[in-house]
Amino acid sequence: LNPLELTLGIMTAVGGFVDISELVFAAKAGSTFGYALIWVFAVGTVGIIVFSEMSGRVAAVAKQPVFNLMRHRLGLKLGLLTLVASVISTLITCAAEVGGVALILNYLTGWPYALMAVLMTAVLIASIWVLPFEWIERTYGLLGLFMLVFAAALIAIDAPWGKIAAAFVPQVPSGLSTKELLSFGYFSVAILSAVLFPYEVYFYSSGGIEEGWGPKDMLKNRVTSIVGMGLGSMLAIAILANSAQLFGPVNVDPELPGTAALQAAIPFGRWGLILALLGMFFAVAGAAVETCMANAYSIAQFFGWMWGRHKKPWEAPRFTITWIALFLIALLIVLTGVDVMMLVELAILFSILVLPLTYLPLLLLSGDRKYMREHVNGPLAKTLGWLYFAIITAAAIAALPLFFLTSGGNG
Amino acid sequence: MTPDGRIKLVSELLDLPLIDSEGKYCGIVDDVELAGTRDLKLKALLVGPGAYAGRLPRWAMWLVKRIAGDRVTRVAIDRIRTITDGVHLECPGRDLGLHRVETAAGRWIPRKGAM
Repeated sequence: LNPLELTLGIMTAVGGFVDISELVFAAKAGSTFGYALIWVFAVGTVGIIVFSEMSGRVAAVAKQPVFNLMRHRLGLKLGLLTLVASVISTLITCAAEVGGVALILNYLTGWPYALMAVLMTAVLIASIWVLPFEWIERTYGLLGLFMLVFAAALIAIDAPWGKIAAAFVPQVPSGLSTKELLSFGYFSVAILSAVLFPYEVYFYSSGGIEEGWGPKDMLKNRVTSIVGMGLGSMLAIAILANSAQLFGPVNVDPELPGTAALQAAIPFGRWGLILALLGMFFAVAGAAVETCMANAYSIAQFFGWMWGRHKKPWEAPRFTITWIALFLIALLIVLTGVDVMMLVELAILFSILVLPLTYLPLLLLSGDRKYMREHVNGPLAKTLGWLYFAIITAAAIAALPLFFLTSGGNG
Repeated sequence: MTPDGRIKLVSELLDLPLIDSEGKYCGIVDDVELAGTRDLKLKALLVGPGAYAGRLPRWAMWLVKRIAGDRVTRVAIDRIRTITDGVHLECPGRDLGLHRVETAAGRWIPRKGAM
């Protein structure tokens, strides 16, 4: 196990953890409910660690892409249904990320939003075209580490650490009205959905195959998912806690993604604001790349095409055409003028609805001794896996009623 | 081998990757062609989304056709060298027409600029 490679892998996972949905919901959750939703982030983080570790293990042991194995395990019909559901939800997420990155660039430069969306799509396409897989992953992940300014801001504003620590224990704030309780429920479901987006698992496992993982990489997979995603989640929790401390008491509703950047401007001034915007820019741009590539991976793996960015774009032509087309569709969605916040809401809603369908095959595959041999799920992975499957199924059932009852968390 | 065992053999062939004699990935087994009436024998492997026709409802096939086309390539059993965790062919995939769509799509992709 190469320590430098491991450190880079962890840092990449940390910088690449936060996306536009987490950014928005962490900031809104903090200003609306104080620290009370921190435990939901913690629960979701353990879930994404469990499923990422499983998917990395499947990729390393079976050496076959997860979507191909899913098709075999579920059958063609259910496999196709899973593909369609996950592609639609991830495409909406990709559009939200493209819109988000255009909005951040608009804050940074003052140039028109639509122009920024077109420009950024071109830059994102060019970066995937030019850079090999490892560079793509690391460039966006490592530059996303500017997000650490949010953790530094939390320290600088002298946060109430006792209250933050206590909020890791599951709780529902007392004295909420029915309307507020429903809103709390909706935020809980939305945060779970944002942390457990299925694209993260598809991208992570396909990335493992791109990098040629084998059974020898089992420790690397475990450490990267546990430490990298665990620390990455701390950034989202820092945004929530900053928001609870700075926005909640003065009734600021961080309705726009850019509002979160003010958290770093308050203690650090202009440079804090610039670092926060840069961190958000690279984190969200990285998420746009991940969503687009995760979709292209899924489609190519399902239909048995050549795939992967470890190959030159012309060596996997259908895969290349697919990820370019997906980026252009995401851009078209953004250019229709649909609000980024609406895209974030839709991405959250669609994702939670398809989560059980996308995680069940992974759970079955990683527990199948025929594929996994001695690396099959142990008692802990099995228990946590099924527990989280029950949690996401309950969240999926509750999502639609909560969305309509609370008008998307707006009361 | 029991009759159940034979059925299992065929079902396990489905979705296996095909690797040609040059080590190149050629797709996955989408269906199989069997010969005989009572004593069924494997005759060929079918590769490509056109082979889903017997396994999917019409609406789903309509969708597949729009995304991936409906081409199907037949790989006769005598072109298979071994079957392990994948189907290994004894000839290059291009001789069987397995790379035709990928090659056609490749004409649209400029061959420069990538590291």
